[in-house]
This record gives sequence, C-alpha cells and structure tokens, in this order.
Amino acid sequence: MKTFDFFCIVFLSVLLCSCDATPSGKIEQGLRSFQKFNDGVQQAAFSKNKLAPKIEDKDLTPESKFRVNDYDTHTPPSDTTENWRLYVTGLVKHPGYYSLAQIKELQKQVQNSKHVCVEGWSQNIKWGGVALWYFLDWVGADSNAKYIAVECADKYYEGYDMESARHPETLLCYEAFNKPLSLQHGAPCRIVMPTKLGYKSAKWIFKLVVTNTKPGGYWEDQGYDWNAGL
Amino acid sequence: MKMKPAKIFQHPLVIRVTHWLNFIALLIMVSSGMRIFNASPLFAFKFPSWVTLGGWLGGARQWHFFAMWIFVLNGVLAVIYNVATRHGRKTTIFRTKDIHGILPMIKYYLRINKEHPKTDKYNALQKLAYTSVPFLGIGVTLSGLAMYMPVTFQEIAFIFGGYDLARWFHFIFMALIVFFFLGHLFMVVTAGWWNFWSMITGWKRVETVQK
Repeated sequence: MKTFDFFCIVFLSVLLCSCDATPSGKIEQGLRSFQKFNDGVQQAAFSKNKLAPKIEDKDLTPESKFRVNDYDTHTPPSDTTENWRLYVTGLVKHPGYYSLAQIKELQKQVQNSKHVCVEGWSQNIKWGGVALWYFLDWVGADSNAKYIAVECADKYYEGYDMESARHPETLLCYEAFNKPLSLQHGAPCRIVMPTKLGYKSAKWIFKLVVTNTKPGGYWEDQGYDWNAGL
Repeated sequence: MKMKPAKIFQHPLVIRVTHWLNFIALLIMVSSGMRIFNASPLFAFKFPSWVTLGGWLGGARQWHFFAMWIFVLNGVLAVIYNVATRHGRKTTIFRTKDIHGILPMIKYYLRINKEHPKTDKYNALQKLAYTSVPFLGIGVTLSGLAMYMPVTFQEIAFIFGGYDLARWFHFIFMALIVFFFLGHLFMVVTAGWWNFWSMITGWKRVETVQK
C-alpha cells in the first residue's frame, strides 16, 4: 500500500505539472513579465564591442543548403529592385528615400556570421552590405535615440535597441555569398544581426525609423523574447 | 523479539526545500526543453506533445528561461549548504575506497548475488550517483548558457566546441540527469514510504529491534 500511495503522488504531480497546457491568463502574464526581466539581463550582458566567434570560409554552409525560412506572412516584396527605396524617418537629420545604388556606394563590409534560428538550427553565411552604424551616421541618425524600427514588405516588422543596431557586425545587408540577395532571402535589402536570434534579421525592409518609442516585433508580440540576444 | 518504531532525523530543512524546488525546476526544464527540442530535433525523433510544456516554442522558451533561474540559484544554494555544513561529507561523497563496492552492488541489482552487500548509509552506487549528479547540473547549465547566448558566452560555447555541439552536450547532460532521476525514483520506491516521507518532514521512522 505504501508503494501504491507513493506512485499516486508521483503520478498526480507529473500530471499536474507537465500537461500540455498553453499558459493562459495569470500564468501567461507572469511568464511574459518574467521574460521582460530576462530581456533586461540580456541587455546588461550585451557588449557592443564583443564580436561573434570568427568563422573561416571553410566552415561556411554550402550555398546550396542556404536555408529559406518561411514565416507565417511570407510574401515577396511588391517592388522591383530598381524601384525599391528605403524610407528613413524619425530622429534623423536627412530623412528620405534611399535607393539601393546609394546604399551600395557606402563602404562595403563582408563578413561570415552564424545565423542562429530560435528553433535551434544554425547556418554560417557570408553576408555583404553596409554596417548599419555607418548608414545611421550617414543619414544623420540621432545617436542618443534609443531604438530602431523596421517595416518589411511582407508585413513583418522588427525593433532593435540602439546599442545592438550599432554593433560593428550589424548589417544593412544586400549580398549573400558575394551575390545579390535572392528574393527568398530578403532582396533587395535586409537586416543581418549576428548578435541576435534569426527572427531579428528582418527581410524585405522598406522603412527604417529612428525613435525613442520602443517598437514591437512580429514574433515578439506573440511571445518571443524582445531582446533575443545571443 | 519485539519491533519498536524509532525516528531518526536525516534531512535538514535546507536540503528538503532545495530538493523539492529542484524537482519542480527540473520538471519544468525538461518538459519545456522537449518542446524546444521539437522545433528543430537533433535526430529523427520528436517528443509527444503531451509530455511537453508551453504549448508552442515561444511558450516553452518562456517556461524554460523562467525555471532556469530556480534551477541554477537553488542548485548553487544546495551546493554551498552542503559544502559549508559538511552535510553528507562522510555518508554521501564517493571516494576511491568506494570503488570496491561498485561491482558487488551491480551484481546485487542484477540479481546475480541474492544478498545485499554490507554497506554504509549509502552504498557505492548511490554515492557515485549522488556525487556525480551536481556535476551533471553544472554541465547542463554551462552547455545551456552556451546555447542561450553563444556570442556573449562564446568562451563557454568554445569549451563545448561551439553552438551546434553545445546543443548535443545539453541534450546528453539532460538525458543523464533524467537517467539519474529514474534510478532515484526506483530506489525510493523500493526503500519504502518512510524513506520518501523523510524528505518531506526530515524524520525517518525505522523499525528497531528491542533487546
């Protein structure tokens, strides 16, 4: 009987604790609040000078295996590359519409970076573009502003803290494997952030806002962590 | 001969509290971890969703990165307490002299030998398990940090051979902890109700023979 009692207690506690309940109500609120605490910890742990581990060319993912991740809202951008403009607005000295040709004239940065998906897989990609900090300086973005927000042609949207946006490896990216970005990978222009989980590397961007209002994010607003720091 | 129940005190309050907090934290960590694993399995296997926690990847991550604090802080407290008070230093720590006790215990458990070898409070296998499980805790924590923030903690990720290998290490450490848990559960069940009860109240009732 004593063994039976014990089994009952173990069985019930396992049943109570590990049932497949999507957290709802108060538990969900509590977890979301705690997630903000973790965001703060990650922000404090972030160092703007710490580069991602170096990746040699031989360790790159073969281009044929360059994975396309389909988001819920996956749709190609409406514009052709020639007609595409990046609309820069908010706390900037020179707001306006910038063409890809203008962006390509800025000093180019090519880097091998690990793209880490929130799902767990990762790929080593050779990206090319202009460092976002350089672009931000070039358009005269207020260096005291707190956030950057981007909007994408597929209704995806993202937000970044200024420190991460100005990290030396954050790119306004237009190339992968020394070729212009393919449509599936965000042509003509996307964000690449080796210091953040993959969902921060927004594709098909067309609008960039420098702001002091904390922006949301497509997945963050559904429950992923906002900081997403790696 | 007359049997007389006696009580002995064997688990101090801090041990009991950290023990059960650890159980709850592990339950959350493993069940939400399986949901995270399912998002991109390391091998051709997925855990059935009814054993997982969180409902979806985002929910599972919320649980996982909440319970990690309980698991780590509670674990640190337990280790500090054990070291500071020297609790279980003589009874629980596996030492070289215990090596001789391993084989007889295995033979006993495999029912090759019928008779339980003469042991101290804990036998050699128990000592080995109880001594190594904190190191599994450290391993699962470090490999977890390497996966959680492979740029910020790239020095830790480097120890495990980078982000991708750290995922394997994390899984293996988890599996070993679960293996320990199952063995532990089996022992507790065979040792009986009072042994289990002593981890709640601290007191164990033992049948003693009155002379």
